[in-house]
Amino acid sequence: MVSIQRILHRPETRFMLLGLPAVLFVIVFLLLPIVSVIVFSFWRTESYEIYADWNLDNYRTVLFEGTYLTFLWRSIVTAVIVTGACLLYAWPVAYFIAKYGGRYRLLLVLALAAPFFTGAVLRLAALQAIMGPIGVINMALGLIGLPPIEFLMFNRIASGIGIAYLYLPFMVTAIYLSLLNFNFQLLNVAKVNGARPWRAFLTVTWPLNWIGTAIGITLVFIPCLAESITPTFLGGPSGKLYGSVLGLQFDQTGTWALGSAMGVILFAVCCVVIGIMWLTINLKRSGFTGAGR
Amino acid sequence: MANAGNVAVGIYDATKRFGRTTAVHRANLEIRQGEFFSLLGPSGSGKTTLLRIIAGLEDPDEGRVVIDGREVTGLPPYVRKVGMVFQDFLLFPHMTVGENIQFPLRMQGASKAERDERLAWIAKLLHIDGFEERYPHQLSGGQQQRVALARGLISRPALLLLDEPLANLDRELRKEMEVEVRRYQRELGIPFIYVTHNQEEALTMSDRIAVMRNGSFEQVAPKVEVYSDPATAFVASFVGHANRMRGRVSAVEGGRARLDWNGVQLAIPAVAGLAAGGAADYFVKCEHLRVAAGSEAATAGHNRLDGTLRDVIFKGQIADYIVVLANGAEIVVSEAAGLPRVKAGDAVAVTWAPEAGRGFAAEG
Amino acid sequence: MARFRLDRAATPLVLGVMLALLYVFLFAPVAYLVYTSFARDTVWPFPWRPTLAAYENLAHLRAYQEALWNSLGIALGTAVLSMTLSAMGSIAVLKYRHRWRGWFSIIIVSPMFVAELLIGISTLIFNRKVLGLPGNVPSAIIANAVHGMAFGFLIMLAQLVRYDWRLDDAAMVFGANPWRTFWHVTAPNIWPAMLGAFVITFLLAFNNLEISFYNLGAVPTLPSLAWGSLRYGLEAELFALAALVNGVVFLSFVVIYTLIRLGIVRFGYRGL
Repeated sequence: MVSIQRILHRPETRFMLLGLPAVLFVIVFLLLPIVSVIVFSFWRTESYEIYADWNLDNYRTVLFEGTYLTFLWRSIVTAVIVTGACLLYAWPVAYFIAKYGGRYRLLLVLALAAPFFTGAVLRLAALQAIMGPIGVINMALGLIGLPPIEFLMFNRIASGIGIAYLYLPFMVTAIYLSLLNFNFQLLNVAKVNGARPWRAFLTVTWPLNWIGTAIGITLVFIPCLAESITPTFLGGPSGKLYGSVLGLQFDQTGTWALGSAMGVILFAVCCVVIGIMWLTINLKRSGFTGAGR
Repeated sequence: MANAGNVAVGIYDATKRFGRTTAVHRANLEIRQGEFFSLLGPSGSGKTTLLRIIAGLEDPDEGRVVIDGREVTGLPPYVRKVGMVFQDFLLFPHMTVGENIQFPLRMQGASKAERDERLAWIAKLLHIDGFEERYPHQLSGGQQQRVALARGLISRPALLLLDEPLANLDRELRKEMEVEVRRYQRELGIPFIYVTHNQEEALTMSDRIAVMRNGSFEQVAPKVEVYSDPATAFVASFVGHANRMRGRVSAVEGGRARLDWNGVQLAIPAVAGLAAGGAADYFVKCEHLRVAAGSEAATAGHNRLDGTLRDVIFKGQIADYIVVLANGAEIVVSEAAGLPRVKAGDAVAVTWAPEAGRGFAAEG
Repeated sequence: MARFRLDRAATPLVLGVMLALLYVFLFAPVAYLVYTSFARDTVWPFPWRPTLAAYENLAHLRAYQEALWNSLGIALGTAVLSMTLSAMGSIAVLKYRHRWRGWFSIIIVSPMFVAELLIGISTLIFNRKVLGLPGNVPSAIIANAVHGMAFGFLIMLAQLVRYDWRLDDAAMVFGANPWRTFWHVTAPNIWPAMLGAFVITFLLAFNNLEISFYNLGAVPTLPSLAWGSLRYGLEAELFALAALVNGVVFLSFVVIYTLIRLGIVRFGYRGL
């Protein structure tokens, strides 16, 4: 007969006691809400009330009434472009900090990460102050007698720049953390064996840091896709993205069922992206040797 | 000789499995009050697991643990009131030496006055008075070791568990500490249970030794017995330096058996289990062999092996003589340096009384 | 050979310039914001004629005061909840070798990969319609905590990989029960990580718009107020607010950096 006391002292029990609260918290307050969204997407809203009429109308609306799909497509394209641009810029920067940063690495990375925590609204305000219609740039141009830079405002480019501004540090951090555990000596090995710098990068550096890169891509792509405030604010009429329209369903029009359907589709796209990234990760080829002790 | 008094720690049929491996298999052990007891064995033998079971850090799947007459099976470590010294010292890095040592008393709710008094006492005993305000990382290995010992002893626990505490010290320091640790045990009279893979350590410090292998006890006996009267082939090979001769028993008569070893016939003491036709291992400790010039006559009844002296390894007081026999095998003889008047290249004879070695039945 | 050497030197130089440009890109707008917050004319703040008018206005606006309290409440609640749960979770995953620890880790980190917008609307639906909670601060706290816990977990993991869990064993042998072990031995060694998790999740929740917005209904927070105000153009108070928030964030990071540099904190990675 094993007493309750003995069971309580077992490592397995301790593990559960400590770990379950966090896990259950996520399951209850993330998983269940997402399930609710899925359920709601099949229901109906009328005059701000929700009715449990199971139907596919919402999906029909989203998928077949032109505008929503257009926004979704636009969002995906924007996300791909922004993520790609971030990737191109983040890799060299992260590489620099990891390889040449020396004693200042921590400082450099923290400096990059800090702005993120001031919140999207204020950061967009800062961008607006510089890039906006009465921002510094345009006022300066006006003083010289030049017209304001139209193409930087209230369109998708502005939106894209705004999103990149918000999430680029994320990508840099993810790649940087991966490079920290990368043995740069391996590049010398490649060079000695005849690989030119670019070749060495493609065959050694890139694959060994792919997990970090994939995480960075995911961390940027998903918020990009779902961005609602940046496009609403900087995008103008042509820059409206899926996320902002989604937000409207809950914020203004009260059509929660339709919004849920949009949300489910968004979530599905995100899952597909994560799935694709997951499939590209082959742990054995990643040089991953386990965490810590 | 340890007091055959009360049992300090009793382990009864303890078994512990990790997944599919059995770390400890039906261990039965009684450690007496005031005794210095060693658990000796190679890594993976289960000795550390057994120690952790006594401490309460592992819960045995079967069996019982009794400390000072009190059933502690299943009780958590913090109510067992034992002391422990760990291999990497495991001093709390964020506390001073004094705070480290006083920790057990603090957990027991002792008053500040009492704690300070005990600290002064144990620090003096272990020669670390004056270090109380320093931090562990400011101390040398040997000093940290003493602090760890002090922490284990300050509450005058029912017993002290030591998990290879000297393994991280350099050789000189280790030799010193071996003697010191033994002295503290004698002075305090607390039973020490000492885990090590170093047989010299075990032999220097203990009263009794339990030799462990693959989760079971090969022999539990006073140290002299473990050394000179090994119970199994493993103990014979693990404790002390011995030559091993494996062969086939060709005859058993009277108190002797005849072992055929690589073309040579040896007389070995007959023990139960040695039967004609069976395989056997015969162990003779290096210091029980004699080497002399090949021309000298052998003593009657002694075994004799002829060969060539290949090398002499001088070790100070003693020397190891490496002899290559006609059948190709190498024998190591340990004698006082300089005593045998032979040199490398000489034809020599290795002789010994059969009873100086032990034979064990082997598989195959 | 000379060209070879030039190539070798050129790469770090080019990369370094890229990094420098990135910093300019990130901080120039912020610097401008801070500069302008002291200006009399926020549209063209030149030449430098500092005034504290914007800050004074900010301090007196009732709307901002109320929003500040709400934001603080949400941030505090989120930080406490996130720090506690992520500390427990990270200890569980690192101290005990359980076969489920991989799965636990994935589940706890998963909110990081769910868009904030989705977290916002899904918790809105769940809290409002399923749990029957009205749009209020606790609802926002829970939603932010789910998100923050993922961050906190990673932050704690980064330092906890370096902690020697055998110290806990030692503490237990010497008489400390699990709670006392944590209080006397574990916590004194890992408190910087817990502080880091607290600060980060606090800032995230304090400045969060998307998650909190949908869960709060009419309850104002600083971000939502700023957002509403921003849509009508940049007012002076907004500059002051932005400058203050940036100041607090910057200060927090200086503190964190100092703690790490002084060796009080060691975040698991070699040479970080």
